Parts: sequence; C-alpha cells; structure tokens
Amino acid sequence: MRAGGLSRAASSLSGAAAGRSYDRARGDGIGPPPPDRRAPVTTQRPAGLAGAGLAGELAEIVGGDHVRTDAGALETFARDATPLHRATPDAICFPGETREVAAVIELAAERGIPVVPRGSGTNLCAATVPHRGGIVLSLTRMNRLLELDAANMVAVCQPGVITARLGEAAAERGLLYPPDPGSRATSTIAGNVATCAGGLRGLKYGVTRDYVLGCEVVIGTGETLRCGGKLVKDVAGLDLTRLLCGSEGTLGVITELTVRLVPAAAANATGVAYFSDLADAGRAVSQILAAGVLPVTLEFLDHTCLETVEEFAGIGLRTDAGALLIFGQDGAAEAIAGDMSAMAEACAQNNGFGVEIADSDADAQELLEARRAVLPSLSRRAPLTILEDASVPRARLAEMVQRIDAIAAEHDLLIGTFGHAGDGNLHPTCVVDPAQDGVLQRVEQAFAQIFAAALELGGTISGEHGIGLAKRDHLRSQLGDAHMRLLTRLKAAFDPADILNPGKLAS
Amino acid sequence: MSEPPIFTEELLDRCISCGFCLSACPTYALTGEEVSSPRGRINLMRALEEGRLPADDPTLAEESSFCLGCRACEPVCPAGVQYGPLLEEWRARQWPPRTRPLRLRGLLWATNRRWRVRALGLPRRHARRRRGPGPWLMLGCFERALFPAVSRLAARLVPGARVVARQGCCGALHAHNGELARGHELARELGEALPGVILTTSGGCAAHLAAVLGRDRVRELSEWLVESGAAASSGGARPDGAAASTGAAASTGAAASTGETGARPSETGARPSETWPRPSETWPRPSETRPRVGLQDSCHLRNANGVWREPRELIGRVAEYVELPSASRCCGAAGTYALLRPRDSRVILDAKLDEIAAAEVDYVVAVNPGCLRQLRQGLRRRGSATRAIHLAELLATLGD
Repeated sequence: MRAGGLSRAASSLSGAAAGRSYDRARGDGIGPPPPDRRAPVTTQRPAGLAGAGLAGELAEIVGGDHVRTDAGALETFARDATPLHRATPDAICFPGETREVAAVIELAAERGIPVVPRGSGTNLCAATVPHRGGIVLSLTRMNRLLELDAANMVAVCQPGVITARLGEAAAERGLLYPPDPGSRATSTIAGNVATCAGGLRGLKYGVTRDYVLGCEVVIGTGETLRCGGKLVKDVAGLDLTRLLCGSEGTLGVITELTVRLVPAAAANATGVAYFSDLADAGRAVSQILAAGVLPVTLEFLDHTCLETVEEFAGIGLRTDAGALLIFGQDGAAEAIAGDMSAMAEACAQNNGFGVEIADSDADAQELLEARRAVLPSLSRRAPLTILEDASVPRARLAEMVQRIDAIAAEHDLLIGTFGHAGDGNLHPTCVVDPAQDGVLQRVEQAFAQIFAAALELGGTISGEHGIGLAKRDHLRSQLGDAHMRLLTRLKAAFDPADILNPGKLAS
Repeated sequence: MSEPPIFTEELLDRCISCGFCLSACPTYALTGEEVSSPRGRINLMRALEEGRLPADDPTLAEESSFCLGCRACEPVCPAGVQYGPLLEEWRARQWPPRTRPLRLRGLLWATNRRWRVRALGLPRRHARRRRGPGPWLMLGCFERALFPAVSRLAARLVPGARVVARQGCCGALHAHNGELARGHELARELGEALPGVILTTSGGCAAHLAAVLGRDRVRELSEWLVESGAAASSGGARPDGAAASTGAAASTGAAASTGETGARPSETGARPSETWPRPSETWPRPSETRPRVGLQDSCHLRNANGVWREPRELIGRVAEYVELPSASRCCGAAGTYALLRPRDSRVILDAKLDEIAAAEVDYVVAVNPGCLRQLRQGLRRRGSATRAIHLAELLATLGD
C-alpha cells in the first residue's frame, strides 16, 4: 500500500536527483549482468528486448509512480527466495486494478515482451525470476480483502492480500483459512494459488488448491475471464480454477480470488516423541492413521536436524535420538484428548521415547520451537542453503530418508531432512559453502539422484515448492513426453504469444 | 577483488532471501516495493559489494537513507541476519562527509567531543554528580539539552546510581550516520569514563553500547529496575512501600504537569524514591483511579537488546497499561531520520497518532529521547490531550 503523502522527493543526503523517481527510463545497453559468485545467472536473454520506450508506455497505463526502471530496483527484483537464480527484468510495474493488468498484458503480447507476475517473492523454485527479462508485474498494490462472507463461508480478495491477514480476518469471524505455508506472514494469496502452496496441515486439511473456489484471471491475450465463484458445486465448463492452481503465472495473472473457509477448531494440542530410528517413527505414523486418527500436525526431524538445532538453538533436544516426531490435533477439547493419548500410545508402542504432550499453549509453542528452528539452524552452518521438497507416498518416507542420507554421504554433503510425516512431503536441505571448488556440481548431482529416488518410490520432484526455473529440467522425467506436449498445448491456448512467465514450468 | 570489502562477508552471507522480513518493514509497508524492503536492501548491498551497481547509484543513495534503521526485520529473520550492523557498514560507505546535509554535520560535530557534549548540558540541569555503589548513569548527549529531567528522575529511581559529569556521547549517532569507526571509538571512550555497568535512559544508546562494549556492560532503565526488583523480592530484602498511598488522582495531575514542563520533581512534592522496588502486594491500584498509559517501544532496545517486557511490566505497576497496536513499530523518529526525512517521518508518525487517539490513553511512554521528542511534537501539533512522557517521569511521579 502506498501512502499518498509519502515523500517522493530526491534523497536529501545524496543531493542528487535520485531516489523515488520512477519514470527514469533505463535506456539502452541492457545486457546480461556481470557474473556473481553467489548467484550465477541461469539463462541468457536477448539484450535490449524491451527498448527505451517501454517505461513510458507502462507509465501511461499504471501511472508514472508505479513503474520502475532504475538499475537498483531492477537489481532487487532479479531474485526471489530461491538461491542461485538471478536475472534482472527491464521494468517493474505495479498495477492497481484488473483493467491495468489487462492493458499491460495486451501491450506485452503485442510486442512479445515477457511478463512475470509476482507477489511477495517468497517462492523457492525461482518461479518469479525474470530470466528472459521483460516486465515484472508486482501485484502488491492490489491488496484489498473485498468481502468476508460468513454465511457462505468464503472470502473474496485481491491477489496481493497477505495470507496471514486473510487468516486473521477469518479468525475474527470464527473461521479458518487452513493452508499455512511457512511464509504466510509475508506471502500473498495469489502467490499461494499460483504455486499451490502447502504447509503443515496438509494431511488433515489439504493444500491451497482445496480452498480455491473461483477466480478472475487475465490470460495471455489480455482477455479477462471469471471461473468458479462462491459455489461449492459448479460443473459448468472445465475446472479452470483448479488448472490455475500451481500454474506459476504461465497461464494467466490472477486478479481476484474466492477462497473457501472452514469453521475454526475450538482447541488444539501438541506432543512430541523421539525414536532411535526414523523407520520406527514411520511405523508409529501408520499406526496412528490406522487407528482412525487424522492429526492436524505430523512433523519429523531427522538426526542431522536434531543435532544442528541443538548446536545452534540449545533448546534441550535429545541428540542421541534418530528422529523426532511432533504430533498435534485440533477440534473439540474432548475429542483432542482422546486423539492425543492414542497418538502418544502409538509412539510408545513403536519404540518411541521421551513422549510428551504439552499442557498449555506456551508449552506447545516450546515443542514446536524445534521444528521452527530447523531451517535457521541449518542455514547457519554454511553461507548457502538449498531447500528442496521431493515427496513420496507416506509409507515410504523412512526409506526415502535413508536414500537421501546415502546420497549425501556419497557426495560428501551435509543434508538434513525434515518435513511432513503425515503427507510424505520431505525437505532435504543442503548447506554448503559455494566458494568451495566444484561443490555446486556435487549438489546438483546429489539432488538429481534424490529426485530420481523420489520418482522410483512413486513420489514427486516437488510436493509444494513448485517447478519454476529451479526444477524445470527434471519435470519431463516425472511427467513423460506426451504429458509435456499436452502442457505445452495448454499453455499455447491460454497464452498464444508465449509472454506469460515464458520458459518456466512446461513452456 | 582489489578493493577492501565494504561489508563483513559473514553478515551479508547470512541472508537466505526468504522474504520473511518484508511484513515487518515499515518502509515496505509504505511502498509495497521490494527495493524498500530489508531483503531488497540486502540485495542492493550485495550489488554494491560485487560491483554490479556503482557507488554513486541514485537508488543506493535513496534506499540507504529511506531505511529507518529500526531493525524490526531482525527478530522475524529465521536466519539471524544482523541488519543493523550491515546498515551501519552501508552508510559508512554511502554517506561520505562532503555529501552530508548541514544539519547532520552540526549534530555530529556537537557530539564528537566530550566537552561539547558537556556544554550541551549547561543550560539546564541534569542529574547531579553523585557517588554510589550502583551502575553508572549515562547522561546522554541530546537528552542533556532536551530532557535533563529524565536523568534527574532516573537518579532518584536508582538511588545507588553513580553520576559523573565527565562523559561524552555514546557514538550511536555517528555509527548510524556514516561514521562507523568514530561511533565505535566514542562508545569505547564512554566505556572508560563509566567503567562499570552503564545505566541508560535511551534505548538507542543501549543497543549501540551493547554492540560495542558487550551486552553485560549495559542496562536500560526499565531493565535495571525489573532486574533489581526481582532480585530484591526473591531475596526477601524488600523495602517498605509506605509511600504508595499517595492519591492516584493527585499523581495524575502531577504527572500531567511534569509531562508538559519537563518534570521538576521538587515541585511535585515527591520524595526521593528510596523505596524502589515496591512490594508487589500493594499493586496494582484499583483501575478506575489509574491513568491509561500506552508505550512506544524503542526499536533498537526491543529488536537489538530484546528489552520490551520490562517497560510494560513497570507501567502496569503504576497505571493501567494499554498495548497500542503498533507499539513495537517505529514512530518515525529513528535517530536523525525525523530531521533528515521529515516528510517520510511524518507519514509514519501520523498512523501512530491515529492509533493513540483511538486508544484514548492519558500518556504515551517513551524509553528513548528521540521517540519522546517525536511523539511530543506530533501530539502537540494535533492538540491531543494525550501526553508523551519518558518512563522515568511516569515512574517517578506515579510511583511515589
């Protein structure tokens, strides 16, 4: 949100005509940026694609204050949350309404300029890195929650609404928006839809796609259409809403969303159990589900994660254990109590030890601290953190972690694995110093093997992060040629000029 | 690379670009543009370090100055990035002396020598020289000139505190405004002038001193009072709190006048507070007679030193504490920011003033002189009935 009175004056410090001058055209000489030791540019792109007049034309559509072409701004929009990927766009524009989005896309289609839609840029697959240059279409200004319809249990919002804000608004009405990706405090709702974000509650509540009922979308021709709506049942036409979930901005730019809400649970509870072996934890999970309990949380940490968290956070974890399982339930208070003791029992019966159920919210937060501390702790071991999300059917989780450990040992890499034991979604996380010779090749080889192992076990190369640029080259091995061809034809149907996030996913 | 690095490599490497900081950043909330977010600025720093952007790039200049330096991004960072030190290193490169505006040069000059800082305190009387077994009270630089009552009242609240007049500026001002080396030098000089635990009434100074001298050398007033209070009550050596029966309404009136005039304790009739800490059983007072009091956190005190519960606890002992929705977010004072970027500063302050009006509080307490000045000016401009006062003023008047 841009405050009206915010000073756009030049920097008082530099004295130069600097700063918030948005319409300063970048001019010619746009070329590939110089090499960067931390973040190599992944793909070359044609130089000078957009031309000097682009800024002016965009400014005519969205207003001069909402276009940036200065080198500094371009630099900061060259990256998202994905390591090793960086490419500068030619312009960034911030539309304020659907009409402006459509006009920008029409202009881009006419000229063949790539358009990369972007929310908060928290994705982990380089889906918003503009590797072919062009326009980054930032939707942060379109951030209004349009309607919270408690009677129909839906919310209607603009694409740039922050996920956590939607959650708060729903909570005020006694409702819950269940998808809770790790970045929910920052991520935008349309970004969640475009990447089909997951989260900790996947097993019980599903993921983002299970909560999107309808949307307004601008496709690659500049046409605006609506699909779905507030209805739970609606079979008129193909389910384009679902098709857009996880489409990573390659099919259209979402300009409005209708999402489903559910009644908020009255209470929740959390517990933990240690296992000497991850396989035991896997058996405990199977037994929990076989007993008819559908937990809201079932998270695990492997031994490497336990050791690392304890080393950096020192929160009293048992490092002699091979795995930690965090389990939780929400619902009516009495039902929770029964489920929690059933889960504790299942853990104990499968050689679990140190089983503990939190008595209070504060205690529960303490138990969850271990899970929250994994990524920060791992990332402190080395300058570069690569977080992946290969997934396997739940029953093969322990087997997959064993494979990952073997692959890490083979390539002499430190890979800690944590993730969602309930839905088989793993986060093998590799931390390395990129200054070391040849280390990035080893990482690449290791992850190629990890993806292959996941596929062999009936899994996927990405459970919730997406394909983007980061895993583009691995997609074919999962989907096969015929599937890829169909995706390409679908892409062409939505975006005949191939301007919407081109070169990503299956395009 | 031939040139010496601008940034400490491990500080810059720590950022994993996850973007969790975006939602905490006040300037990102204003623009919604990546370039004015902490992650965006770190990417600018990297571009500067690696030569992708020239040192005179206008966006670099603008963003190094547009940033409030409030460090709200640090507590939410999962990777533990120390943004504050990075910003100091950035400004040390970005703001060479010749480009600094005159106002800033004046401030830095005035606080650069100990005698000048002492001269600042001459017109109005700060805490008097005193020996004691307790911590060394820091008199501040601009606090001496602007709010001398704060150190007088702090000295009353901590009867054992030692006060010496021979002390200069802590150097936070320099460190935050491009003179990083001098900022560290001044902190070390102050550490020598006050050779024990330094007690300060300024959150910003507390954070800077902690960064240079070590966390254990520094206690902000609220932190000291809570810590020593906890020690006293657990040790059983609690002084008698007979003075607690002073009428609350009278205290309110007294506080209102001190809030306005800069607090002359001798005129409020308050006795020297030898009774701190008060026995907890005499608190809280009945809420209908207690003033409603909100707090403006000091950003650096909260985000760098982790002190935020303490002032709330102390306010709760003498008044009805009201948590303002954005108490933890910057008020726009941000050290020299209010002077250098007055318009941006006011946009940030205005939202805060709306909130204060909606909360209908009698007082807003500040724990840093910059915030106190900013809130006072803002409230006065609006003709608000709410008064901004320093924590020491609130405690010294309502606590007696």
